[in-house]
Amino acid sequence: MKTIAFAAITSLVLLFVWERVDIVRIGYHIERLKSQKVVLERERDELRVKLSALTAPERIARMASDKLGMVLPDKGQVVVVHVEPEIPVVPVLAERESEMKLAKNVVFRRTR
Amino acid sequence: MAALPFRGRRFVVASLLAAGFGIVLVRLVNLQVQQAAELTLRADRQHQKSVTLEGARGTIYDRNSKVLAMNMEVPSVFGVPTSLEDPHRTARNLSPILHVKATELEKKLKQEKHFVWLARKLEPEQGRRLEQLSLGGVGVVMEGRRFYPKGPLLSHVLGFAGMDDRGLEGVELRYEQYLRGEKRTVVLQRDALGRAVFPKGLNEEGASAGHSLTLTVDEVIQYIAEKELDEAVNRSNAKSGTIVVMDPRTGGVLAMAVSPRFDPNTVGSLVPDRWRNRALTDTYEPGSTMKTVIAAAALEEKVMAPESMIYGENGQMQVAKTVIHDHERLGWMTFAQMLQKSSNIGAAKVGMALGEWRVFDYLKEFGFGDKTGIDLPGETGGLLRGPRGWGKRSLASISMGQEIGVTPLQMVTAISAIANGGVLMKPYLVSEIRNAKGQLIAQTMPQARRRVISADTARTLTHILEGVVISGTGTKAAIPGYRVAGKTGTAQKVDPRTGAYSSTMLVGSFVGYVPAEDPRLAMIVMIDEPHGEGWGGVVAAPVFRRVGEQVLNYLGVTVDDPIKLAMAGIES
Repeated sequence: MKTIAFAAITSLVLLFVWERVDIVRIGYHIERLKSQKVVLERERDELRVKLSALTAPERIARMASDKLGMVLPDKGQVVVVHVEPEIPVVPVLAERESEMKLAKNVVFRRTR
Repeated sequence: MAALPFRGRRFVVASLLAAGFGIVLVRLVNLQVQQAAELTLRADRQHQKSVTLEGARGTIYDRNSKVLAMNMEVPSVFGVPTSLEDPHRTARNLSPILHVKATELEKKLKQEKHFVWLARKLEPEQGRRLEQLSLGGVGVVMEGRRFYPKGPLLSHVLGFAGMDDRGLEGVELRYEQYLRGEKRTVVLQRDALGRAVFPKGLNEEGASAGHSLTLTVDEVIQYIAEKELDEAVNRSNAKSGTIVVMDPRTGGVLAMAVSPRFDPNTVGSLVPDRWRNRALTDTYEPGSTMKTVIAAAALEEKVMAPESMIYGENGQMQVAKTVIHDHERLGWMTFAQMLQKSSNIGAAKVGMALGEWRVFDYLKEFGFGDKTGIDLPGETGGLLRGPRGWGKRSLASISMGQEIGVTPLQMVTAISAIANGGVLMKPYLVSEIRNAKGQLIAQTMPQARRRVISADTARTLTHILEGVVISGTGTKAAIPGYRVAGKTGTAQKVDPRTGAYSSTMLVGSFVGYVPAEDPRLAMIVMIDEPHGEGWGGVVAAPVFRRVGEQVLNYLGVTVDDPIKLAMAGIES
């Protein structure tokens, strides 16, 4: 009987000590994860700033014109027309030469 | 010596043990009961550490959620001079990374101090290079730094935050209370080595970031406005320029450009004059653009109709012992032609027909002389005296846009009222405020201040203003395929040396809206002191056209006249 009581008390004490040690161990683990989170958040913010800088309209326009040789559309090259969504946009057949030239350059865009 | 009997020995041992336990018990009571409060406090001081955390400053987005300003943690470098063995070598190693002269660093590192800042808020890359060096006596701490990733884009509106992360100008200043991150003190448990183990209380959260703002501004429209304005200012070698683009239906500002621009990332070396938002802090005499408001008043009061005849006095008219001139010798003209040809004499006569009080009342109704109430700091209400303070020429002068000071923002707000059918809207910049979790805190809805003219008057005036662009002084503002309504303005500035109107110091402007029948954009272009031809129709109207056609295309606004636009393409 005495042995059983002694074993039970010892087990309780060990359980208590183990619990305390485990709390500290998990505490360290949580702190490590928190530090990792801070580092990752920092990295995320850095990437967001970079993305925003790289997508600046000024930079894109400069690259489009300097590297790709793109230019702003000229007068009449973009015609925004109102069409019903179900009706397909078909360029009208050009009859005159001047209209042919127009048909080649015009980009049709739909709006609702 | 005779040995104690067994019972005696047992008594002695028991007494000694009892005394021992008694002493321990007394000490235990002393520590656990009598000194309990003090010792607990001492233990807490050793185990716990209070840290004040400050959440990051909120992010600013454009209307399409593109980041315009945000915070990032960056390294700041400090030195501990007292623990340095070779300050000269440390300074030489740090110099190329920190971009600071080695002699300057060495001077700091030789001071008899325990702490000295070497460089603050560096680029993240510099921090990584420093980590690789791992120098003794030099440490790195992370601090929040405000970044404006688009550089000078929208700088006059955004303003900037200082080294202490406090807003100092623009939206950053106006919305400081929302943008500022939360400050919170957190208690950490420390181990024997001083490392943080656990926050006291598992539910304890860190400080939350400040609220984020969504602006009404569109970064693409802003870019188009800034690019065209910069080009116009450089081309005409002007002192400065301003463009404000507004949605006339809501009062939301789509773009607000001021030239010359500045980069809020490197504001330290600039003079304050450079970051002044001239669109709302500077007043100017509007000149002929003011005739639009006088015309609106005359039509609303039925003092004039579009076909009413006005005599142009062959280009000269005497008012209060002074002479008013027109730029051409005009005879009889209709009221509509008066606006299209921008006759000063005609406008003065319309003003006289209205009378002082009605002119004043309509100017006040259109918002002149009062702040528009836009959510930006530093706005001025302009200069509009009451009729009791007017001289004999004032009525004629004000009718043609002199003796009155307005801001570009006031003028575009007034033209927006004509564009939207007669309702004066309150201009605004911030449309939404959200907390760090993305929950909506506040939303700005379009706010109508008052009806200033009837829809019929607005429609009639729009038709007349279309004539200004079709065949009047504003033909260079015409956008092929779209119906544009607007008015040119050229105002002489007062020469500070002579105190009189200068013939060379001019303000050329154009204010208008497009498409005329269902306006999506109201815009003012103002060029201050251009060299060469300073007429609004020459320096400002072409800028209106260039910005207008790009923005309409970007917004996908349906053209009014596709055939005309197509033909314009063929002809060019």
